[in-house]
Amino acid sequence: MSPDILDEASEIWFGPQHVSAHGWATKLTLVGDYIVECDPNAGYFHRSAEKCLEFRNFRQGSMILERICMMEAFLAEYPYIAAVEKIVDLEVPERAKVMRTIMLEFNRIHSLQFWWGQFAGELGLFAMLLWPWVDREYTLDAFETLTGSRHTVSYETPGGVKYDFTPKFLTKMEIALSRVKERMPVFEDMLSGSPTFRLRTEGVGHYTLKKALKWGLSGPNVKACGYPMDLRKDDPDPNLAYDMIDWEVPTIHNEDHPGECDAFDRLLQRFKEIETSLDIIDKLLPLLPEGPIVDPKARAKANRLPEGESYGRVEGTRGVTTVWLKTMEKAQTPWRAKIRGPCFASYYSLKHIVPGARFADFPAIFGSLDPYPGWWDR
Amino acid sequence: MNMSDTPGSASTVARAVINKYPDIESKPLDGNKVELVVPREKIREVVAMLDAEISDALPESMFGVDLTENKYELIYIFWSHEGKMLIQLRVHLESETPEIESVCDIFPGLEWHERETHEMFGINFKNHPDLRPLLLPDELVGKFPMRKSFETDRSRMDETGLAAPKPRPKPGGESS
Repeated sequence: MSPDILDEASEIWFGPQHVSAHGWATKLTLVGDYIVECDPNAGYFHRSAEKCLEFRNFRQGSMILERICMMEAFLAEYPYIAAVEKIVDLEVPERAKVMRTIMLEFNRIHSLQFWWGQFAGELGLFAMLLWPWVDREYTLDAFETLTGSRHTVSYETPGGVKYDFTPKFLTKMEIALSRVKERMPVFEDMLSGSPTFRLRTEGVGHYTLKKALKWGLSGPNVKACGYPMDLRKDDPDPNLAYDMIDWEVPTIHNEDHPGECDAFDRLLQRFKEIETSLDIIDKLLPLLPEGPIVDPKARAKANRLPEGESYGRVEGTRGVTTVWLKTMEKAQTPWRAKIRGPCFASYYSLKHIVPGARFADFPAIFGSLDPYPGWWDR
Repeated sequence: MNMSDTPGSASTVARAVINKYPDIESKPLDGNKVELVVPREKIREVVAMLDAEISDALPESMFGVDLTENKYELIYIFWSHEGKMLIQLRVHLESETPEIESVCDIFPGLEWHERETHEMFGINFKNHPDLRPLLLPDELVGKFPMRKSFETDRSRMDETGLAAPKPRPKPGGESS
């Protein structure tokens, strides 16, 4: 790029007031309506969650995590619980393992419903913004019946789960899931079948798998390149039930550009994620055994932890979500807890993906990466 | 499941690294996971070697740990889907002004992790292209809030600009 082009460049802040920029701001350098430089800014949501965790005991810590990303509260709190369960020897009952897994997948569907609406809204399709959010109410109703709270659920606890499935909850879950199944084809028509929508997403926000891995992208953002990286299969957690059933990691193979993906592929990938989650729940529900839902000694055992380090991981809706935990001898609180949010990488990678795109394509690019500010600011 | 001798397993990679740099120690973690304790000067060589050995290395995380008394640890975590393995690098730093070479030209994904560790722990990353504060507001720059010496109790009340709480009357004190 010759320097005289940059003489005409103008700088535009996208956010924090922009309606599509929910809690973040990116400085864009434009020549005409082409973006030549993108500088994502973080910190608008920073609430020092890692420092707060150093002052909470091991049963309270997960509640800080679910407030980081309320859209996937069950998934967000799980890595912390997994890390605690690796340091202290807790016997998680079989029933709790299956219940946890069902709720993680149910939560994934909820998070993706939210994302559909958000993505369509960012592209200006306001009817599509509200339709999935109406369905989302049914899912939230089910969460409320189970845990008493719509978003900050605090369902999992070291050694098991807090609340048992009730017949009322199971009915509500069935209503919510059948609603998703019924409306999936409609949404697929509205988004992937719409010529306007395809024009705005196809060939936009293009990257290769090799680069995506270098930037640290994970989850649907690399599975859309046809690469089945999924912690549910690769590193199955002993206290979850993913290995009890047969299921396939969903990926997208686009023959036009193998090993690469654009915004449209990532959209299709997220549709497939919902289908997989529905499939896992359908297969796990009949396997739900009877029995206790929590280790009866969990409260005493998780009170003080021995010295140790552990790494809890879960495949979140947006990618690899982890908590690294270090405890000192007889610790009541962690010495250090590091949260790795999947969107930390996807927000950073805007810096590399966006330059060269047109200004109008910018919402399509970041929307297709499913960013959530809580994950990079913490 | 014993993965210790299959090609592409974590311990094979660890052995390759140790053969080249004998002063590195390795420690097996649970499953197909391994930890390497790397001297500060060798970090660039080791990360470059992991990049060459593992074709699909994902820079999963990188962060600091404050062990008090000017001792710090840096942890780098890499994951590979092909080998289903996890490599964790640990670097000990001991100094009032800890410093290490940046590796973000090898793995761009670590650029922001290093930026965050710099502002939160005061660890300097040499040759890092952009060490502006990432998350902190201006008034906390240079205070390194994730260090253990950063007080979070009432002793820093006056910095907030809020009114101080009224002193409680002493039990049995004079009544007004």
